[in-house]
Amino acid sequence: MVRRRVTTALIGTTAVAISAGSASAQQIEAEEFVLDNGMTFILVPRTEQPLNVAAGWLARVGSANEPAGMSGVTHFLEHMMFKGSDAIGTTDAAGDQAFRDRLEELREDLFAKIYEVQYPRMRDGEIADPWDPANDTPEIREIRAEMTRIQDDQKSVTIGNEFDKIYTGEGASGMNAQTFYDWTRYFINVPANKLELWAWLESDRLFDPSLREFDAEKDVVVEERRQRYSQSPTGELDEQFYSMLWISSPYNWPVIGWPSDLQAYTEEATREYFETYYQPRNLVGVIVGDFDVDEAKTLVTSYFGRLQDPGEPIPPVTTIEMDRLGTMVLEGSCDCQPQASVAYQGVPYGHADAAALDVVADLMNGRTGRMYKSMIEGSELASSATAVNYTLKYAGAFNIDAQVKGNATPKQLLAALESELERLRTEPVAERELQKVKNQTRADSVRDLQNNMGMLQQILAVEAYGSWQDINDYADKIDAVTPDDIMRVANEYLTDGGAIALYTRNESAGSGGAMTLDDALAGVPVEMQDMLRMQVEQQTATLELASAEELEEALTQIQAQSAMVPENMQPLMAYITQQIQARLAELNATGEAPASDEATDDTTGGEG
Amino acid sequence: MTRLTFSTLTAAAIAGTASLAAADIPSHPRNINFPEVEFEPPAATDYRTELNGIPVYLAPSSELPLVNISFTFRAGGHLDPSDKVGLSSLTGQLMQTGGTESLSPEQLDEELAFLAADVSVGIGGSIGTANLNTLTDNLDESFALFMDMVRSPGFDEARFEVLKNQTIESMRQRNDDGLQVLLREWDFLLYGVDSPDARRATLASVESITIDDMRAFHARTIQPGNMIIAVAGDFEPREMLGRLSSALEGWDRGSRMAKPAENTHEFEPGVYYIKKEQAQGQVLIGQRGLTRDDPDAVPVQVMNDILGGSGFTSRITNRVRTDEGLAYTAGSVFRNRVDTRGDFISYYFSKVPTVALAGRTVIEEIDRIRDQAVQTDELETVKGNIIETFPRRFESKAGILSTFVTDEWTGRDPDHWNTFRDRVGGVSPEDVQRVAREYLDPDNMAMLIVGPWDDIAVGNTASEPDPNRVVTMGDIKGGQAKEIPMRDPLTLELPEQN
Repeated sequence: MVRRRVTTALIGTTAVAISAGSASAQQIEAEEFVLDNGMTFILVPRTEQPLNVAAGWLARVGSANEPAGMSGVTHFLEHMMFKGSDAIGTTDAAGDQAFRDRLEELREDLFAKIYEVQYPRMRDGEIADPWDPANDTPEIREIRAEMTRIQDDQKSVTIGNEFDKIYTGEGASGMNAQTFYDWTRYFINVPANKLELWAWLESDRLFDPSLREFDAEKDVVVEERRQRYSQSPTGELDEQFYSMLWISSPYNWPVIGWPSDLQAYTEEATREYFETYYQPRNLVGVIVGDFDVDEAKTLVTSYFGRLQDPGEPIPPVTTIEMDRLGTMVLEGSCDCQPQASVAYQGVPYGHADAAALDVVADLMNGRTGRMYKSMIEGSELASSATAVNYTLKYAGAFNIDAQVKGNATPKQLLAALESELERLRTEPVAERELQKVKNQTRADSVRDLQNNMGMLQQILAVEAYGSWQDINDYADKIDAVTPDDIMRVANEYLTDGGAIALYTRNESAGSGGAMTLDDALAGVPVEMQDMLRMQVEQQTATLELASAEELEEALTQIQAQSAMVPENMQPLMAYITQQIQARLAELNATGEAPASDEATDDTTGGEG
Repeated sequence: MTRLTFSTLTAAAIAGTASLAAADIPSHPRNINFPEVEFEPPAATDYRTELNGIPVYLAPSSELPLVNISFTFRAGGHLDPSDKVGLSSLTGQLMQTGGTESLSPEQLDEELAFLAADVSVGIGGSIGTANLNTLTDNLDESFALFMDMVRSPGFDEARFEVLKNQTIESMRQRNDDGLQVLLREWDFLLYGVDSPDARRATLASVESITIDDMRAFHARTIQPGNMIIAVAGDFEPREMLGRLSSALEGWDRGSRMAKPAENTHEFEPGVYYIKKEQAQGQVLIGQRGLTRDDPDAVPVQVMNDILGGSGFTSRITNRVRTDEGLAYTAGSVFRNRVDTRGDFISYYFSKVPTVALAGRTVIEEIDRIRDQAVQTDELETVKGNIIETFPRRFESKAGILSTFVTDEWTGRDPDHWNTFRDRVGGVSPEDVQRVAREYLDPDNMAMLIVGPWDDIAVGNTASEPDPNRVVTMGDIKGGQAKEIPMRDPLTLELPEQN
């Protein structure tokens, strides 16, 4: 096409850094101070959004700090921090405490029975899940019933979600909290005249949180786990992939925790975890927005100053990640687009090579990135591809995900990714390509300052690992990365064989809840089921050997026969049809790429 | 650390409280005196001007060296021909990725990326947007590229293939996530499968779309006469008007496109389910609602915030999640629309055995807000929230412009924001009950469930120790339920019934 050769005059083609003047002048100007009890505060006054203040705090504790059998407790504690205190959430603190004490006794009783009776039953193969109420013995069920009665009674002294209601009624918004491997953070927007409300409620819950509604909240977290992992097409496989890629590091269990551990927390152990890791020395408060610094200082000093420093040591994270000695592969299937991921061992936050690995990811990503050019547009193997350099506190991972297009396979994607990495290892990146990434980093560092909450989140994120000043230095660090650095880190880090995930689509998924043989047999008289099952299984087993033409012919025959088969046998015919179509789709998918693009669209199930 | 530390802390708490009292820290947040803040909403007229009859909103601010230029158009899915559903959306996406008449896609992308300019085009339900966000220093270069893309998009064939393929790949995945199935079937049920408010692109509709279709759609809709401009950030207004004026030269004016039509589909109330093997049941219960400008929209917002629209503060979340631990996500929403009545949806995702129990709980709460007057403190909390969060809408320049541009497109009463807080403040418990009775009609609601139906239907009979909490789907809405088979993800056709 002719137009491709035309270049307009307005575009310069030399590699120059953009707007070094105004953009680099944009910095976060913060005031940092430490209270007598060791809690740090970072104040960032700004008036771009009058009327609003974003405020939050960080506890330097995440799932990496959890002891064995308590996975997920950091996140669970985060949920429990919204339950209030003696002053918030109850009309009768002493009465509430009495209910909680009684519940804790019953809980210990319940757990003892589950470990003594239900765990052995599980090991014997009698039941699948010792915690599932459907497997309860009568004695265990009675304990649960008693707990339910007490919980119902406790409601008479509970003011449900009072913590949230107070904020809500005063016009606060966006209240939330997040837990990750290394940190837990809590944040909210408050009207500019109500910073004191934030100081009151946050220091109150840090001072003496009441872990009430303990069992119902466990159920909520179990449900959250279902929603985030079990319900997500790739959620449960991804969880096991991450668990595989971290070898010895405490990042190798999920932040939300394993299902069994989620059931097993006691109030006392949770409280102890709070007291260990929420000491003021381990906390950082951040305020961004329209406020007066001196007033805010006075406010936080009197409110948060009341937290006592118990002076207990904060346990270090001991275990260091082991080097990977060979390639690790997880092959799974899900109701998902076929896809491939590869994760290499990277570097932790603050490492001298972190910036160069960030640049590697940037070079790969986006519509002008290398993966788009080679895999999405070029070879057309992928419909999407993303690289991320994760730098956590104690270790890092460099991760690439790609989803297939059409009939490509995850293994083809992997090969294409490898050849991109090989290019990075062997060819120096062009000056203009590198400068583009640097320009974008600098522009993004300005965009990140656009709103209070965004800036607050950035500061909280960075403070978990380093210092807020790192935000101001980041663009300079990226600027210093050279083509040699990129080749060096690609050779040093992106070569350990990697942890690899290859997902294919579940056979039944594409056709939308495809039926199983059991479904198909459901309408058939019971006495005939076994015989029919055997026949159909034999028939479908032979499909593996049939050619496409034979399968097409079989389909035609089945359609002809269908009309004459009694109604209760129809599902069976549909089942056989489905199996044949699936096999046909498989043949199409694994065969050579068809000469005509049109040929890929005739699969009924979308397994292609 | 055990009880010992705990009691030490408790002692410290008491000591602390005493010293706080001395330092004038109130015993409860309700006793804090907040400084008064006056806030009057800005007036659209202070930001609005016209350029050859085209509305232009300007909000200069020099804090950051960034400029954001946004063109909006009356262009959306409502204009798609019925056999080419997806045309408007694909046109927007290809405008962004398909280069210009003088620049190949690769050239355009490279230049914008090098300038670190963010450019996006999106054509949605009834409004399309082309947006440029750039550093002030690059404004001239970036804006020239942006204008070239908006006025003379290249609609490159190879990029069209990529886009089409990506669209088809995502179609293949649209039965993978139960939530996507749930929301799709809900729209089909309430608005009608073929209505512009519900319909989705299919393999056939996407394959029938040609580049010529897109060029024609672009020529018809992306025109000054069908456009509103908004600019926020670091610029000088007079200079910006000059820049815009030159950029519009020689561009056919065109005219305003039609608004979406009213949707008069009548849905069949009842319980519906779609079988899908998964760990939870995903559920919507609701009915058609009201339009955005309905006089009852304000009391309905207050009512719904009490019922399920204000997170932990609201009743459904409080009972289903906090009290009973039956869901992580539960609540309700009125999705008001501008041109036709929207809908009311209460929603929750619960583990399979407790779908019925959670459903009974939600229905009880819908009944309760109809049958009993709300408590004053609940009402004051949600009214306080709506009134106190009101300034947030106008706290940034981008927020102000986005509000006014939407208002102009949708013909909102210019006095709306000036009287809004008073109208919220005036809502009484009687108003809440009246609108609850008028807009919540449990007997005529649809309940839609995605999940493993056979297990959902038997409820928690095997696992629930408390007989008062044992519920099966047979106990819900008379126990009648109708299956909607899973559609083919590419054609969206229902499987043939034998």
